Amino acid sequence: MAITDLTIVRRSMQVRLFSTVTTILMVGVAVALMLTLLTLKDATRNAFSRGTGNMHLLVSADSSPLVSVLNGVFYANPPARPIEWTKYGQLVRSAPWEFFIPVQQGDSYLGFPVLASTPEFFSKFEPNDKEPWSLVEGRPFERAFEVVLGSTVAKSSGLKLGDSIFLTHGIASSRQLGDPNAMQPHVHTDFKYTIVGILAPTGSAHDRALFTDLDSTWIIHAHDRRKRDDASTQTTTVEDLTDADRKITGIFARVATRPGSDVSAAIPSTAYRLRADPTITVAMPKTEIDRLFSIVSNIDKVFIAMAVVVIISSGISITLALYNSMEQRRRQIAVLRVLGSSRTRILRLILAESALLGIIGCILGLAVSLIGGQAGAATLKAQLGIFLDPTLPLRPTLLVLGGTTLLAMLAGIIPAIMAYRTPVAKNLKPIA
Amino acid sequence: MPDALRITDLSFTYPGAPDPVIRVRSLTLAQGEQILLTGSSGRGKSTLLQLIAGLLDPSSGSVEIDGTPIHSLRAAKRDLYRGSKIGMIFQTFNLLAGFSALENVMAPMIFSPIPKREHRDRAAKLLNTLGIERIHAEPDQLSLGQQQRVAVARALACDPVLVLADEPTASLDPENAAAAMDLIQNACRERNAALLCTSHDPRTAERFTRRESLDQLADAPTLTNAGGR
Repeated sequence: MAITDLTIVRRSMQVRLFSTVTTILMVGVAVALMLTLLTLKDATRNAFSRGTGNMHLLVSADSSPLVSVLNGVFYANPPARPIEWTKYGQLVRSAPWEFFIPVQQGDSYLGFPVLASTPEFFSKFEPNDKEPWSLVEGRPFERAFEVVLGSTVAKSSGLKLGDSIFLTHGIASSRQLGDPNAMQPHVHTDFKYTIVGILAPTGSAHDRALFTDLDSTWIIHAHDRRKRDDASTQTTTVEDLTDADRKITGIFARVATRPGSDVSAAIPSTAYRLRADPTITVAMPKTEIDRLFSIVSNIDKVFIAMAVVVIISSGISITLALYNSMEQRRRQIAVLRVLGSSRTRILRLILAESALLGIIGCILGLAVSLIGGQAGAATLKAQLGIFLDPTLPLRPTLLVLGGTTLLAMLAGIIPAIMAYRTPVAKNLKPIA
Repeated sequence: MPDALRITDLSFTYPGAPDPVIRVRSLTLAQGEQILLTGSSGRGKSTLLQLIAGLLDPSSGSVEIDGTPIHSLRAAKRDLYRGSKIGMIFQTFNLLAGFSALENVMAPMIFSPIPKREHRDRAAKLLNTLGIERIHAEPDQLSLGQQQRVAVARALACDPVLVLADEPTASLDPENAAAAMDLIQNACRERNAALLCTSHDPRTAERFTRRESLDQLADAPTLTNAGGR
């Protein structure tokens, strides 16, 4: 096989193997960093959009819509202020809802939050758009004191169907639970819950929660109240509940839409109308998540800017590597000129070498970010139940790869001009 | 058939220098002819070879290679013309580092009109003729004598009409130097390539029937003669 210009470029790179490898590594790391940041940027946003599912509105008594979403969907903290059950009754009649599901938070198990709701939570609410709940084992709760585990809870706790647990009042931290000297949280030991179902992973915060029915939750708290009033109280049932015991912390609501449609012009108007009531907060979860990301998007920009700086640094390293090699290769250039190569061909050879360093660096960076992304996403899913889609965004990826190759080529311009100007006669002299 | 080399009233002055370093009234080399150019060190022998190869532009005069005034060609065409018409052999061989012996011989062919499919066979055959068996070895894995053979093969790779050999034996011991000169002269003779060799080694001088010094060339009206030894 005949040798080509590419052979000359390859041989030149092989002769300076250490410099070539380190330069390629630098470009590769820069590209991998940039692609990883771009992937994370989109993947994080996608991950945050999971969990709100097919709900249009989240009603709570929290201080702001964003806090309401963080608490109600992502279980950041148990909502501090409840909504009275009578208020729920008024609200459910205020609009034609497709679903209007009451939820209550406040208890936990091993630090995992417990969400109490009605059976519609599983039958009508979908944690992700077009992805209804799916059970790995068992069934949804049907009676009082039955509990369904999110996938992460099941994995972390090792609990299985038929096991019994006691819920803890409030969210106890793992430090509290492990430290005998810490103030121990109150455990509802009078009421045993039985595990009846284990959910499949949803990639949302719901994987880290337990689900039970509202009556049970109201009963265990009413029982505490009644024991405070009368220490001889043995048990509490639904019949013992008062209106004051029936409290909820949120409502997952979906406005009636045409079949197959997810949007409705009634959503903003309904939200607007509900917001007239000062005792509740009405959040449109998707809007709040967009708002959250617009707040943190500046941090994204800082990271992307840092990655751009790293890529530019890698371009400078290409310039330096080629510039430093010029002294060594002046003789080679002179010989190639003697053999018939034109100045412009020499210029093209150096630019090709520079571009090739960039292209190989891009391939390396792409491979690292693809393999690393897959591995990272698999680890996050397995360890933390977080779903991050490691798919590289096509357009930004092509932009990064094309831009880096172009930058690499530009980085070769100064060394290429030096090569172009290499005086042949001077560099053919025997070395002393 | 045009002469392999025809120089007429050639002079070259380095920029800023008061006097020309090269002055050649006339020098003609017929196809296949061999000539030794002598001159003391620093007299300008290498500079003359570079002028002939079109690597330097003369201050005045002309150099014709195979009937074409090389300096009248545009830069890129001149480079291609040099690659296909002139072979050069250097004192330090100047083989390309990182390239095998075979690739070193194939290298000038990529700048020539020789079809790509012929490059490999042609180079391998040439190396074989010159006694190089380890054609895939890199220059630093070969002895000095073998490196010299590879350099000769490279100079002859594109069937040049003229071979310029600049002190080709200066790096070799007397035994290897004699063998190298045998090789260069015979290889040029077999391919009917004219040879212009520079050397200040008296033993090399004895091998040429036609010998000229730069001083003579500056004065002589016309210098032509029969071939080398």
